[in-house]
Amino acid sequence: MINSARQQRLIDEAKALLKQGKVRWIIGFEAGSLKFTTTPLITADAGDTSRLVINSFIVNNLSNFLPELEGRIGIVAKGCDSRSIVSLIQDSKVRREDVVILAVPCSGLIDLAKVEQLIGKDRDEIDAISRKDDKVIVTLAGAKREFSISEALYDNCLACELPTPQEYDILLGEPILPSNEPAAGQKKLDELKKMSPEARWQFWKKELERCIRCYACRNACPACYCQRCFVEETEPQWLLPIPHWQDNLMFQITMDIHVAGRCTDCGECQRACPVNIPLRSLTKEMYDIVADLFHFKAGMDKEALPLMTHYEQEEAEDLIG
Amino acid sequence: MADKKINKRDIAKLPNEWCREFSVLVPSRESGTVAMTRWDGKDIGFLDWYRNTVVPPRDSFLPLIEEMFSFYKDKDGYNIELPPPKEQKQLIFGIRPCDARALAILDMTFNDGYQDPYYLGRRQNTVLVGIGCTKAYDSCFCTSLGNSPTDTTGVDLMLTDIGEDFLVEAITDAGKELLTTSSLSKATEADQARAKVSEETARQKVTRNIDIRDIAQKLRASFEDQDFWQKVAAKCISCGICTLLCPTCYCFDINDEMSKAQGVRCRSLDSCSFPIYTRMPMENPRTEKWRRVRNKVCHKYEFYPMLFDAIACTGCGRCIRLCPVNWDIIQIIESVPTGA
Ligand code: SF4
Ligand code: SF4
Ligand code: SF4
Ligand code: SF4
Repeated sequence: MINSARQQRLIDEAKALLKQGKVRWIIGFEAGSLKFTTTPLITADAGDTSRLVINSFIVNNLSNFLPELEGRIGIVAKGCDSRSIVSLIQDSKVRREDVVILAVPCSGLIDLAKVEQLIGKDRDEIDAISRKDDKVIVTLAGAKREFSISEALYDNCLACELPTPQEYDILLGEPILPSNEPAAGQKKLDELKKMSPEARWQFWKKELERCIRCYACRNACPACYCQRCFVEETEPQWLLPIPHWQDNLMFQITMDIHVAGRCTDCGECQRACPVNIPLRSLTKEMYDIVADLFHFKAGMDKEALPLMTHYEQEEAEDLIG
Repeated sequence: MADKKINKRDIAKLPNEWCREFSVLVPSRESGTVAMTRWDGKDIGFLDWYRNTVVPPRDSFLPLIEEMFSFYKDKDGYNIELPPPKEQKQLIFGIRPCDARALAILDMTFNDGYQDPYYLGRRQNTVLVGIGCTKAYDSCFCTSLGNSPTDTTGVDLMLTDIGEDFLVEAITDAGKELLTTSSLSKATEADQARAKVSEETARQKVTRNIDIRDIAQKLRASFEDQDFWQKVAAKCISCGICTLLCPTCYCFDINDEMSKAQGVRCRSLDSCSFPIYTRMPMENPRTEKWRRVRNKVCHKYEFYPMLFDAIACTGCGRCIRLCPVNWDIIQIIESVPTGA
């Protein structure tokens, strides 16, 4: 099948890059230890590349690892990841010549939490999950059930604007156009916008009350790369480390503002959250505001100046207007 | 006292009866994640979906946020007020064997040279009613650690699924007192036999295994093996999930919430995965990620055995299931070099 062919091509390319000394590291995905999972493979060993996979569960935004490795890096990137790489280049966190982008045109990833909801079973109780065109097929106790992608893909994948990386060195497979389901990807936000401010406040209070302040949302985010995060400052102490919901809210809001213009809507923050806080509803709103006010979309053009480092005259009018 | 049983349909009668005396907690999704939550008098739906909580029941003893005392300043100086003495007695209904064992492991630390009044106060004030597991997650490995899906270590009363009914077995005196409820009937020998079968079936469902023989020695011998630890740590993003949600992790931080001349001293959980861990009293000696990952593994599988002769891991699998990069402690333990 197409998928296995491009997986083989990825393995060959990655192996060659390491063997010929063109890169020091390969960052990609390998099969995870649990059902329907993958896990980042970060290796300098050409022998390991045979474990690389491409499938509907390659969730992590691997660009997150770029700033911490030394030497030239070959990296597997979906559309959103490639935007994060470009954004890191714009911010001078990564140099273009130091990365070899192995681009994976991506038709969207399967959201296991949604599948669990649809089926009423946990992921490890499901026999198989596969993708066929605009359907997701779930096999449970031998019986097959079909769902439309708008029910079973991640919201950010439904709203994806760049499934095929624009910036790459090696393209693995045919380019893919954006899905026709942006409305489905916006559903959760629409629901929230329809609420009264009071109801919305109560909603976020309840959601943020269970935040354990594990910072997985921040650490999984490639746009959050500060050496020292404001939450860790003690002089002044912007925020207490005690996870009261008000501080949790301040943490999220400040983080959103900090990544404005760099968030590519990859969805990692929400996916990383162990207690299911719908964080994308905040980041995507910020993403849309940035698009409206500044006509700026993160990681689309590596030559563009980073959003927060310059301003255009018309912005001021929009802002004040 | 002979064992009892109760029909699954009647199970709500138990917490309903117990909640006259106790503040009863049951597994619930009410908060938006799975956690032990105050019994609402009706919802026993958890029997259908509950496998284990996301937030470990440790939270009822060592909560995420705890008020240690409050203070205020007046003309005579500072005054300290302790929180009101312990409320109603607690009963946790449905704790899993791994999590009950985790509390026994935590006791070793909190009931050691220093006796922690907050933790111990709640421990002494709480009765644990366990329900044996019938369908382990694909990340569970309790059987490798001398535990099992129906183990009774640490619980006061144990329920074992025997089909239509639960077998109800008192493990401690506190458990015996719970048996007086009128909703229970006498268990027969056939019920006991069914429980044996169900224990074995449950055990078979735990599919992942590790070999823990000599693990403390192996870890000691590999302590300086930087290559190994760097490889193992490469994909970790240093979040707090695998520690803050681990039922045997207990590190905490202490902060004052101040406003003008008054405040509250709080302790809240901390994580050795964080680069700023222990930065308050000194520096963090583990600035590189691999050192922090090494500490997490060694604390559980080397230091704790050294201190208390027990591995501080129950095989609950939360750290595997919830990790955003699928870092897998089983794979790590399995690949520790022999040190030879
Ligand atoms: S957001 Fe787009 S590029 Fe990223 S995984 Fe989803 S479909 Fe692929
Ligand atoms: S990942 Fe979730 S629980 Fe962790 S800090 Fe972020 S919002 Fe809080
Ligand atoms: S949960 Fe995973 S990523 Fe987070 S600190 Fe633990 S091992 Fe690292
Ligand atoms: S280390 Fe992992 S498996 Fe062991 S008790 Fe902690 S969370 Fe559970």
